[in-house]
Amino acid sequence: MKPELATEMANDLSYETALPLHLAEPPQPSKPRRDPWLVGAAWFFPLFFIFSLWQLNFDYSQLAHGTGKMFQLFAQMFPPSLVDWRPVLEAALQSLQVALVGTAIGVAVAAVFGFLAAVNLFPRLGLLIKGVAAFVRTIPTLVWALMFIVAVGMGPVPGILAIATHAGASLIKMFSQSIEEVDEGVHEAIKATGAGKLQIVFQGFLPCVITYFISWSVFRLEADIGESAILGVVGAGGIGYQISNNMRSYLLPETCFAALVVFVLVFSVELLSNWYKNKMNLK
Amino acid sequence: MAAILQVERLSKKYSDGTAALSDVSFELEPGEFAAVIGLSGAGKSTLLRCINRLVEPTGGDVSFGGVRSAKASAHEVRLLRRQMGMIFQGYNLIQRVSVLRNVLHGRLGYVGPVRGALGLFSKQDVEEAKSILKRLGLEQQTYKRADELSGGQQQRVGIARALCQRPKLILADEPIASLDPVTAKIIMDNLHRICREDGIACIVNLHQVEVAKTYATRIIGMRKGKMVFDGRPEDLTDRMISHIYGESPDKE
Amino acid sequence: MEAQWLRIRRQKRVQTVTIVVLIAALVVWSAVQTKFHVLTVFGGLGEMGKLIVNDFLPPHPEALKGLIEPALDTIYMSVVGMVVGSLISAVLAFFAAATTTPHRIVLVLVRGFASVLRNIPGLIWALMLAFAYGIGTLVGTLAIIIYSVGSLVRAYAEILEEIDQSQLEAVKATGATFPQVLGQAVLPQFIPGFVAWSLYKLELNIRASTIVGMVGGGGLGFYIQNGLKLFHFRDVSMAIILMLVLIVVTEFFTNKIREKVI
Repeated sequence: MKPELATEMANDLSYETALPLHLAEPPQPSKPRRDPWLVGAAWFFPLFFIFSLWQLNFDYSQLAHGTGKMFQLFAQMFPPSLVDWRPVLEAALQSLQVALVGTAIGVAVAAVFGFLAAVNLFPRLGLLIKGVAAFVRTIPTLVWALMFIVAVGMGPVPGILAIATHAGASLIKMFSQSIEEVDEGVHEAIKATGAGKLQIVFQGFLPCVITYFISWSVFRLEADIGESAILGVVGAGGIGYQISNNMRSYLLPETCFAALVVFVLVFSVELLSNWYKNKMNLK
Repeated sequence: MAAILQVERLSKKYSDGTAALSDVSFELEPGEFAAVIGLSGAGKSTLLRCINRLVEPTGGDVSFGGVRSAKASAHEVRLLRRQMGMIFQGYNLIQRVSVLRNVLHGRLGYVGPVRGALGLFSKQDVEEAKSILKRLGLEQQTYKRADELSGGQQQRVGIARALCQRPKLILADEPIASLDPVTAKIIMDNLHRICREDGIACIVNLHQVEVAKTYATRIIGMRKGKMVFDGRPEDLTDRMISHIYGESPDKE
Repeated sequence: MEAQWLRIRRQKRVQTVTIVVLIAALVVWSAVQTKFHVLTVFGGLGEMGKLIVNDFLPPHPEALKGLIEPALDTIYMSVVGMVVGSLISAVLAFFAAATTTPHRIVLVLVRGFASVLRNIPGLIWALMLAFAYGIGTLVGTLAIIIYSVGSLVRAYAEILEEIDQSQLEAVKATGATFPQVLGQAVLPQFIPGFVAWSLYKLELNIRASTIVGMVGGGGLGFYIQNGLKLFHFRDVSMAIILMLVLIVVTEFFTNKIREKVI
């Protein structure tokens, strides 16, 4: 008999057989106490929401006025202007290239450091690398781009470096997690053959985790294409520059076209990555 | 005695062309405990769901307590449903809320739509739900979440929910098919006892002929959507059983 | 048998090698096009290292006084963005889920709308909003709301589509009306996913609000962008540290709540 079946029977039998034996009334069940964290959160968020609104002190006439202006803006944006389609598409291509190169470097870096960060392989070094990666990851790509612009000047290069930095740090986390999930038995079995650390990694771990690495890299590329599309706004190359520049020069139909290009770009990447996800799930 | 439920030439054809139910007619008198037997796919589930209109029948009519359901409005359908409790094979409790609340769901047909949606039940309803739980030996489980209970306990909560509707009729769709034999016996004992004590009529879909013979006052045999037997348990011959179940009798 | 197996294996290998070569070629081509050189990585990192050591460190603790207000603004914007965004999304998701939508066309329209909001980056929304509303926390909050709605509608709709239909059937069988089924059967199943996603969004909002701040959304982002422009690097590093603290603290609390709710 399955163990869960046995307990089920015990549960139900105990009620049937034990009932007549109860001379004294069993204690009345009392309402269970709610979890203090949940109660706290349920009170905190609405109150803090109101407090935040009060503190932000929005000018609601500005909200009404601006919304009107926003619709005017949309109206002026249409129809999109194709006048400078060439530079826009070139810039879009550059965004793609920036994302691709940046992600590729990030993957290369993470492939090495992901192993060094796995605590089942390198207990102490792993924690250190994870900590540094967590720190680097918390700083948004855009802030990295700004800092790299200060360091190496404007153009696509700071964009690539910024994406590589952020992608590398995120992937180190993902890769090392995949490595840590590898069955301890596999590790032991390879170790038992007298293999060295490098051999353990290449023969034991790499085959187990390579598909996860590929999946994580694909999702990272998806995110990075979204990121690279906006890096231009701060001067790091790509289509974001076209958008912010057009916007500032009040070239609204041109802005609209560039924004549509971004939409198509990001949307098609989302579709591709969904297709990939489904394909991986089916397997 | 006047019948409380009349099923007249009830038919259901699904959109893919399968006739799940064809021309089923019978009457049920108050206090009857009827078991519907047959292979899976014989139309037992569809029959019950056509009676409380969870499935829209494509032909025929059901009249219950003097109301004919074929032409009933959405509002009248809800009035019908609240007088018929239903018990499911998969218990179908709301897993994440308390046992008490699951039982109180039986009162939803009686409270206003807004109060019901917000779950504001009267003190009276709560007291009644608690006494029903006590009757089913689930007093200690009142405030537990439904997903903490064993299968047998969950099904007892299912019975409690149906009872909370103060039904004239209980429809039980394979109530014991997911339970082990000992628990199944407890559930059937409970259901049978309560229906007898409260004078509730009951239609139970069952896989097992033996169980049907033990409890039922009347047995309805279904095969391929048609009613092929309707009579007292002692009239159910082995030949009849083989007819209902096709080649191999009672192999479920 | 053996030969066939070998052939399949070889085919697979050829396939893999082709894909790897293709990707490598694409990356090299992109690098050439963007005038990027492998050495630039090291050069760039070197420059960055120098910049950080010489100019960003040590952080300026005195800057903290001026930072409190932008940091609070960032928190306020994120919370308001989360609450408003998740409420709007919950309503829209109801129309965007196949199980609850009143009509198929409504579903397609709402999903399309959410996808436009989602696939135009938040920064670009912020740029347009700044144009219409002027600079300030209002723009930041609105940009966060817009971007949240885009992704939350999809997430919530997926939760609604995974709801256990048999539980709804049981409540319907008691004679319950549609709003009662929603309140008593749909909502309990929807809440855990709703809370988990909303809290996750709160974390993302804190990051996002620093980004939209850069184009005039207020908060820490605005401060960082300004500081870099004015070469006040030590103030900037203080701001970054504060941002890190904010993110870590939010993550701690949201994780705590998430654990309890499931």
